[in-house]
Amino acid sequence: MRRKILHKGGKLFTLLLVLLYHGGVNASSHREAPLISRDPLADNTDVYAFRSPDDDKTITIIANYIPFESPEGGPNYYTFGTGIRYEIHIKNRANTTGDDITYRFTFSQANEDPSTFFNIRLGKQNLKTTYTCEKSTNGGQTFTTILTNGIVPPPNIGPRSIENATVGLGTTYTALRNSAILKASSGEKVFCGPADDPFFVDLAGAFDVGNFRPEGNMTNAPKDGLARFNVHSIALKIKISALQKDGKAVQAAKSILDADYVIGVWASASRQKIRTITTTGEKNYSGDWVQVSRLGMPLTNEAVIPVGMKDKWNSLTPYSSNDLQFADYFSNPELGLYMDDSKFGAAVPSLNALRIQAASLGSFDFRNGRPGLFPLKGNAALAGTALDDAIFGTILLPNDHSPRAVDLLPIFYTGVPNLIPYQLATGKNGNPLAAGKPFINNFLPTLGDMLRLNMAVPITPRNHPKFSSLGIVSAAVLGLTDTLYNKTTALQAIPNMDGFPNGRRLEDDVTTIELQAVSGVALAAIGLWYDDYHPNTSPSPVTDMLKNVLTFTAGPTKNDTTFQPQFPFVQLPWRGYDYTQQPRF
Amino acid sequence: MKQVLKKVLASLVCLICIQTTILASSHREAPLISNDPLADNTDLYAFRSPCDSSKIVLIANYIPFEHPAGGPNWYTFGENIRYEIRVDNNISTAGDDIIYRFTFTQVNEDPTTFFNIRLGKENLKTTYMLEKSNNGGASFSAVITNGVVPPPNIGPRSIENPVVGLGASSYDALITSAIATASSGEKVFCGPADDPFFVDLGGAFDVGGFRKTGRDGVAKFNCHSICIEVPISSLQKDGKTTAMASSILDPEFVIGVYASASRREISTLSADGAADMVSGDWIQVSRLGMPLTNEAVIALANKDKWNATKPANDLQFASYFTNPELALYMDDSQFGGAVPGLSQLRIQSNSLGAFDFRNGKKGLFDLKGTAAVAGTALDDAIFGTILLPDNHSPRAVDLLPIFYTGVPNLSPYQLATGKPTGNPLAAGKPFINNFLPTLGDYLRLNMAVPVTDRNDPKFSTLGIVGAAVLGLTDPTYTNINLQFIPNMDGFPNGRRLEDDVTTIELQAVSGVALAAIGLWYDDYVVGGSPVTPQLLNVLTFNAGVTQNDTTFKPCFPYVQTPWRGFVGNQYVGPKSVDPLPVNWLDFTANKSGNKVQLRFKVSETVDNKYFNIEHSLDGTSFAKIGTVDARPGTTSTYIYNDHNPSLQGINYYRIKQVDKDGSFSYSVIRSVSFAGSAKNYISPNPAKDFINAYSSDDNTRVTVYDATGKRMSVNSTSKGSVRIDMSKLPNGIYNVVFEKNGIKTGVQKVVKQ
Repeated sequence: MRRKILHKGGKLFTLLLVLLYHGGVNASSHREAPLISRDPLADNTDVYAFRSPDDDKTITIIANYIPFESPEGGPNYYTFGTGIRYEIHIKNRANTTGDDITYRFTFSQANEDPSTFFNIRLGKQNLKTTYTCEKSTNGGQTFTTILTNGIVPPPNIGPRSIENATVGLGTTYTALRNSAILKASSGEKVFCGPADDPFFVDLAGAFDVGNFRPEGNMTNAPKDGLARFNVHSIALKIKISALQKDGKAVQAAKSILDADYVIGVWASASRQKIRTITTTGEKNYSGDWVQVSRLGMPLTNEAVIPVGMKDKWNSLTPYSSNDLQFADYFSNPELGLYMDDSKFGAAVPSLNALRIQAASLGSFDFRNGRPGLFPLKGNAALAGTALDDAIFGTILLPNDHSPRAVDLLPIFYTGVPNLIPYQLATGKNGNPLAAGKPFINNFLPTLGDMLRLNMAVPITPRNHPKFSSLGIVSAAVLGLTDTLYNKTTALQAIPNMDGFPNGRRLEDDVTTIELQAVSGVALAAIGLWYDDYHPNTSPSPVTDMLKNVLTFTAGPTKNDTTFQPQFPFVQLPWRGYDYTQQPRF
Repeated sequence: MKQVLKKVLASLVCLICIQTTILASSHREAPLISNDPLADNTDLYAFRSPCDSSKIVLIANYIPFEHPAGGPNWYTFGENIRYEIRVDNNISTAGDDIIYRFTFTQVNEDPTTFFNIRLGKENLKTTYMLEKSNNGGASFSAVITNGVVPPPNIGPRSIENPVVGLGASSYDALITSAIATASSGEKVFCGPADDPFFVDLGGAFDVGGFRKTGRDGVAKFNCHSICIEVPISSLQKDGKTTAMASSILDPEFVIGVYASASRREISTLSADGAADMVSGDWIQVSRLGMPLTNEAVIALANKDKWNATKPANDLQFASYFTNPELALYMDDSQFGGAVPGLSQLRIQSNSLGAFDFRNGKKGLFDLKGTAAVAGTALDDAIFGTILLPDNHSPRAVDLLPIFYTGVPNLSPYQLATGKPTGNPLAAGKPFINNFLPTLGDYLRLNMAVPVTDRNDPKFSTLGIVGAAVLGLTDPTYTNINLQFIPNMDGFPNGRRLEDDVTTIELQAVSGVALAAIGLWYDDYVVGGSPVTPQLLNVLTFNAGVTQNDTTFKPCFPYVQTPWRGFVGNQYVGPKSVDPLPVNWLDFTANKSGNKVQLRFKVSETVDNKYFNIEHSLDGTSFAKIGTVDARPGTTSTYIYNDHNPSLQGINYYRIKQVDKDGSFSYSVIRSVSFAGSAKNYISPNPAKDFINAYSSDDNTRVTVYDATGKRMSVNSTSKGSVRIDMSKLPNGIYNVVFEKNGIKTGVQKVVKQ
């Protein structure tokens, strides 16, 4: 029918892109794909990467494995598997083909007293686990051992097993944890061991066809489906100068968004190809190593990739353009269907607060299958912006039916550059294609799913009054509304610019952020406001629709316990004997 | 009897009543299987059906610790696994006599979603085939094909919702429709269920930290159950019904049962995420007959081997029963002092002034070859040397036979009732006969024993221990005759869902079975009551959790409906203002006297033909009340007056814009109310414990905010009102907001005092 649009003079015609956050939804990656759900020891549940609040010259990377560890799950408590390669992969250059840095962990187990059925008895520990850490800086061609015989603390069974000096180990769990924080020969601090699962999500709500229960609602309180479960964490604290591609310290950064300080991180688990079981109760492994689990951005394989492709996703690296085959799951995300009244929006009332822009600035429709910003393609207004084919190619505006290729896809696959239109609407005077206020630059265009972190961005202290678990969404809100930040387009350190999706802090509520992102909050942040904003008549772009999005939460907004103030940050594992209980569903 | 046995067994033996070991059935009980949850056999039950006493119920559970909300890939039976329930009913045949083999297949009905269930389609949808062998596995016949496994009990949207979910009438309806009848006559169910087991895992495995108020470590977890209800005549070796049994302890009616899971020898990962390729022989990776054997009897060094071993080869593990590790913790000369959680349980070290049953001690070995044991089960000439093998295997007389042979109705394995004081070797009152001397770990059940009604006041979760106590102390039973004593159909004569096997096995390790047959505790004085403080300590001990965290179903499949992941009401989010379609720039509705003035502004009207003005009293069903023709121009403002609005309820308006080609779009909905405060009201006000909020519109959303704007509760009217609890709110002023279809229809202040 009609349409034609918006005007506003030549200015926009054109538009933009997006930004910040990203895509999918709900439960990080616990049992997220059929095959890996049957192999818990190799199941990579979460990856975190953040500048260390206890030492700002370092980055902490945490990869978690083994979901749903019942704290009292004896007599054979959970531990890292033997016969598995647990790896953390880091990229710091877009022009190399594979990993720039790889950490590989392998574990061994020994029984100190095989004559008992107890895990710990009389000072002896069974399934006692140690590890070797190897590091490669040439894409995995060669590895150097940087830590041998590393200690994995025992399970936190209870006071008799840990503290009791006669029947148990006669120590404290904190002492066991501390003595397992080790230093690699290449300088990294390393910890491998059980910990509270830092992730939080209302699993029951999310996966009952989107039956979300926001925090604070009085109808039905959300339940953290991971509350009181442990995981096994691999944590590394690495000097920024050891991660930066040219060995530079953070003080050498040109700005807090220096493009040379971006790293991409992902983790994986691999097993050998052939497993043989014997009639005497043994398992043997042989053959090539095959990747069975991987995780970069949270929730990708949980709630973006559909069932039919999940196992394949786990088997691939994010390199060699492997991930491009999955690009449509980001440019037309399934979750987008549930925030779109012309699709299944009405059938998912718990997401009522989240509606995707169908007529942003009167004309741009970002619902699945719609053109998004494609009508601007080739327009002179795009020249010199990130949307200019001459500069970035056709990734962002591939065709007239991939609307989220401008926001969700780059958040997951390339990172977001500090370029028009990916700057806050602050200072844009209504034209999203104008220069605005910088707030992110984690651009590392490898075209694959990684957790991307600009290491130059300052740390937001965890006790800062403006610290927010909404990460970059919160930074955007401050940059748009807080008079400390919205009076200028100058680059400033806005609190939470060091939050997801610029890296990921333990506190970040990635489920909420990703749902907000699917509903277009990143588009709004850069000036592609919601449909109820009418430039001529609306008093403010902070409309009811935007407020609904910003006040939406996916369920629990924080972990069920605290974090430690220093490395390895993850909290001690729940003690099986007497942890405080909390409903999980 | 003796002759028969002698013939059948040549040698061997047996034992008694209760049994042995300890703790957590078999959830993650061995290192390897703990890493393969789909094949992890957690429990096995076998009992005469309380619903139909002509039948036996066999239940094998798999997959421990299933989180009810464990999506998006919920737990289900694995492909490429053989799940088997094996029954031995005849000691003279080699191997198992009846084998049920289940194999499962999965399909994705809609692989384009990450949800497990969506729009009536189910992913990882699982079906099964049941094959049965009546010849020890030499050949199998398919007795069920394409059996249905119900989906996970995700929540109301996935299960009952007819639009987004499966539209089932209830989850239980899915269970009922999944109950199949095999061509061989068995009733069969395979599917998720509440895990019926209960145990204080946190206490038990903290080096035996048992406590009075334990915590059920498998509470609120599901498992996957395979349930079979089969006529007794199909299991009895000669096809007899119980009506043909010679007594309620007829030895011809004993079956031994175990369950297992097997995988192919070789599994090859694919490099592209396709399913593993499997090949080679089938290898048993998990098995379970008696509960807790591999959890707390077999030491770590042999747990994986135990799982790979057939019961026919169990003698290599016999010393774990004859000198059980748990006994070390009930023996003050060993680690008894270090395990205060078991301080109520001490093993006889000087029973009848003579017999020491602590680990490494002689037990009854001094009786070996004496005239006193002639003709009893302890006579080498009859049973061989299993029961009294040497002078340091004291529990070969009780724990070993409970697990490996079953207990015959023979002296000394009869209750002390009727036995002369101090002579356990005399004839006593019969109370068990599940003797099937295969020398391997099976759950053994004498099918002739009557069912104890679950409502019988004497029903006890202590099974045979409960029966023994009645047979020793209840005047109804304190005679030497064979009588049905309640709970003779309980563990270890089979195993009922209710049986507290952890407690029973701990009591057994501490010698309660020995006491039952007259080998009293050390504090017994000849001539005094055998119910001594030590015995009372044992009988009143429990392992911390004595019953399941929910009920059982009264009839097949007996296991309870699986815990539902999503519980409670569905949250409905605040509707965003309906977006104005592309050319809707503005639309307002305002009172003007007794009429309503509608103003709407549109841009780009090139193709626009006309606008219908639509009105509704309920916000959902609209009727046209007028038409306005479109005007040319890029931006136009239109005005329409409704002269006949309802002065009582709310008037809802929307505009339907129709293009020349007939396509159309709607504006947002606006509302106007003339009724003012009469439409919504609250009483009492001021309020104390509650308010009633009334609205002339049903399904009005009523939200209570405090003075700072914090939302305190969200409610919805039904039949015109809703009662809202205010008792937990601090005194003060609250705003109560009424909304209908996302439109605010009123605000009232209420004072809580």
